[in-house]
Amino acid sequence: MKAAVLRYRVMAYVTGVVLIVLCFVGIPLQIAGKPAVANDVGVLHGILYIIYLVCAWILARKLKLATKPTVIMLLAGTIPIMTFIVERWVTRRFINPALAAQAEPAETVSR
Amino acid sequence: MLRQRYSHGMDDAGPAQGPAQGTAPAAGPVWRFLIRPRWVGWHLLMVVSFLGMLWLGDWQLHRALGGNGLSWAYTFEWPLFACFAVVFWAKTIRDEFRVKRGQAIVPDHGQEELPLGVGSVQAGTAAPKEDEDAELSAYNDYLARLNAEVKRHGRWHGLRS
Repeated sequence: MKAAVLRYRVMAYVTGVVLIVLCFVGIPLQIAGKPAVANDVGVLHGILYIIYLVCAWILARKLKLATKPTVIMLLAGTIPIMTFIVERWVTRRFINPALAAQAEPAETVSR
Repeated sequence: MLRQRYSHGMDDAGPAQGPAQGTAPAAGPVWRFLIRPRWVGWHLLMVVSFLGMLWLGDWQLHRALGGNGLSWAYTFEWPLFACFAVVFWAKTIRDEFRVKRGQAIVPDHGQEELPLGVGSVQAGTAAPKEDEDAELSAYNDYLARLNAEVKRHGRWHGLRS
């Protein structure tokens, strides 16, 4: 579980950074008539996104997420900045509770 | 008073475990959930996105054949995404069948990683022990009810089962 979380986080950040470079550096340069950066970074993002998909998918299944959050997680890698937001959301909403539950079993109060 | 109110288990808290955990009790064969409106919507979305991705791959292929060398990468990438969508879809439906049939989803020892107490909180509190006083057992029941409500709420918004 922890390994899956780490893989997902690394890929979320790497993919997110590359996508930001693509959208906020590559695309303006392409519009300005220099498409080299957009081309190279575009292909790089394409490859990274495939890896991101696999990592996010594995984590989603380990966390037993329902369909909707899983789809959100997978698509986040295609929208600039969204990977960071979704990563934080998933961490707070799903990863932390799962890890906490793993660490200490829930108990009923007794005296 | 309190003890009497909750002594019959968690009838008013909704089912916490078992096959009928969703909204309506299962009527008819298990696969019926596939033709519910929400699922039909997902099916349509999947078909449209699958065809859309194949179309994009075809478009990139034509661009590549037209002399755009960069498009070769995307020519292979789009069909790959389309395949991934199909795999994702198949696994989701398979998981749903397992949930509906009351089996645990065990992708790869995911179930064993769950703590022991999670599933059994309710069973423990349904029958208050004699040495517990009414206040304490009521509090335990309250915790169990919260647990059941959270579980139910998370069905579509978050966690599966």
